[in-house]
Amino acid sequence: MTGSRDLWQFPGTKTAAFAVIVYLYLPILVLIVLSFNASDSSLARWEGFSTHWYAMVAADDNMLNAIRNSGIVACIATLFGTAIATAAALGTARTRFRGQTVVEALIGLPLIVPDIVAAIAILLFFVMIGIKLGLISLVLAHTVFAIPIAYLPIRARLEGLDPALAEAAADLYANPWQTLRRVILPLIWPGIVSGAMLAFIGSLGDVVVSYFVSGPGSTTLPVYVFSMVRMGVTPTVNAVSTLLIAASVSLLTASYLLGRRFS
Amino acid sequence: MKTIVLATCLTLLPACVVPAQAQSSSKELLMFNWSNYTPPDLLKRFEAETGIKVSLDTYDTNETMLAKLQAGGAGYDLVVPTGPTVQTIIRDGLLLKVDASKMSNFKNVRAPFDKPEFDPERAYTVPYMWGTTGLAYDAAKIGGGKIEDSWKELFEPRPEYAGKIGMLKDVNEVLGSAAYYLGYDYCFDKPEQGQKILELLEKQKVAVKVYNSEGTVDRVGGGDVAMELMWNGAFHRAHKKLASAAYVYPREGLNLWGDNIGIPKGAKNVENAKLFLNWMMDPKNAAEASNFTGYNNAIKGSEAYLDPSLRDDPAVNSPEEVIARFRPMRECPKASLDLKDKIWTRLLR
Repeated sequence: MTGSRDLWQFPGTKTAAFAVIVYLYLPILVLIVLSFNASDSSLARWEGFSTHWYAMVAADDNMLNAIRNSGIVACIATLFGTAIATAAALGTARTRFRGQTVVEALIGLPLIVPDIVAAIAILLFFVMIGIKLGLISLVLAHTVFAIPIAYLPIRARLEGLDPALAEAAADLYANPWQTLRRVILPLIWPGIVSGAMLAFIGSLGDVVVSYFVSGPGSTTLPVYVFSMVRMGVTPTVNAVSTLLIAASVSLLTASYLLGRRFS
Repeated sequence: MKTIVLATCLTLLPACVVPAQAQSSSKELLMFNWSNYTPPDLLKRFEAETGIKVSLDTYDTNETMLAKLQAGGAGYDLVVPTGPTVQTIIRDGLLLKVDASKMSNFKNVRAPFDKPEFDPERAYTVPYMWGTTGLAYDAAKIGGGKIEDSWKELFEPRPEYAGKIGMLKDVNEVLGSAAYYLGYDYCFDKPEQGQKILELLEKQKVAVKVYNSEGTVDRVGGGDVAMELMWNGAFHRAHKKLASAAYVYPREGLNLWGDNIGIPKGAKNVENAKLFLNWMMDPKNAAEASNFTGYNNAIKGSEAYLDPSLRDDPAVNSPEEVIARFRPMRECPKASLDLKDKIWTRLLR
């Protein structure tokens, strides 16, 4: 295949790539640096080095509660969402059945519907069937949104799989369950991991749905930060963001290593 | 057969999910408020004095809080809307009648907060923080002098301030202040009035550096702008960074906003919430909230407990003679809202 080598040979590609990376990551770098800002400005007025914002994060019970809620909801929603998405992908890839287009459209629906519309609809639905708002309602809503996000990479990976491998496994007396467990799943594992990653990040960053569907005591971190806008955003937000970035980077590294194990 | 089983499971699912309702004799209170708006120490003291634990959930604007209440099922015991939103919530029947005016601490509430337009008998809410939107400027630019206490200084600025003016990006603040300057009512709705206001603002736009409601403290405190349409609490914080900053209460009138605490329908701990409402009308507690938020409170006698920097700051602790200039912000009729919308869109195009 001649793909990647040719691309790099286009003049200006390296500069463009570098510029885009700087554009994307410079604000994050500034964010991290300003979390050590001694003054209470989370904009650009540096007044000395200080770690007291991290201490304030540790002392702010409400923020810690929000972090805890975000983490729990993201983990559970990712788990269930990715499991369901894997099942959906296995069921819809490489087959044709009646109503397939409808099914695929339904799976992708949460991605197309505007956030606010979905949020209010889910809230009204929960109230109507009597589900008490809280962590459970949050997890349910987040799982729904995690499914299409995780579905796409897994489906893509499945489509790229050589069908001969499944046939070879059947030839060697493997029943469908063994084929799935020992052949297909390991081969699509990188797709599952990347789907799970995307779902996790999506759940962590979600504001609109989380706001409407959360109940007393289950505020998530983005909602908490968002509501600081009125009174002024302090560098505690920078500190929390830096901690989240550190967590994401370690998570990504772990997933990369995990993903490599099976390829 | 399979479909019947599946259908039965699906219909039974909500029943499994809905947990048993806890009885309301629990010692807890669920508060729905902006974040950074209630001192954590105050809530801890409330818990120490009454044994009731307060937990806090947050929202970012009145509108999103209202949407959640209107959709039902919110389950909070306390909610903190701003004045005009209180009108809407009461009209929708979403607040419990608590007769705050009959509570023991109500005598501490000072005028005009004891009879606000949106809740004339204080039947539903108690006052929390209030603030004004006035004019902040850097006195150093005119050699330490004072500007006139008029909106003229903002809308027809002196050359020393031209090009270094910051404005809030809020239709009610900007258009309201312009309306007061031209002698119109806050809820103006005649097209000629709208036209005059638009002309005034478009002429001023040349001298304006930025329209943004966030970062006012930083840009005034850091000297990026020398004159700003500003909330008084934000001014207080900017003043700490820039000693030469000063605040003016324009004599034509300035916006007054007030936040209020109420109990939404569907609250489970109503008695605990009423206790909290009464407790917040105590001077010492109101002062502690003021010290934390940097805004003034509506309780007589709280001056004794205020932080000296707040008490001595005329921007926060408003002197008697300017109180007559306050114009409470209120919800305007549709014609006025539509006109304001048109002007605002034209201005910011």
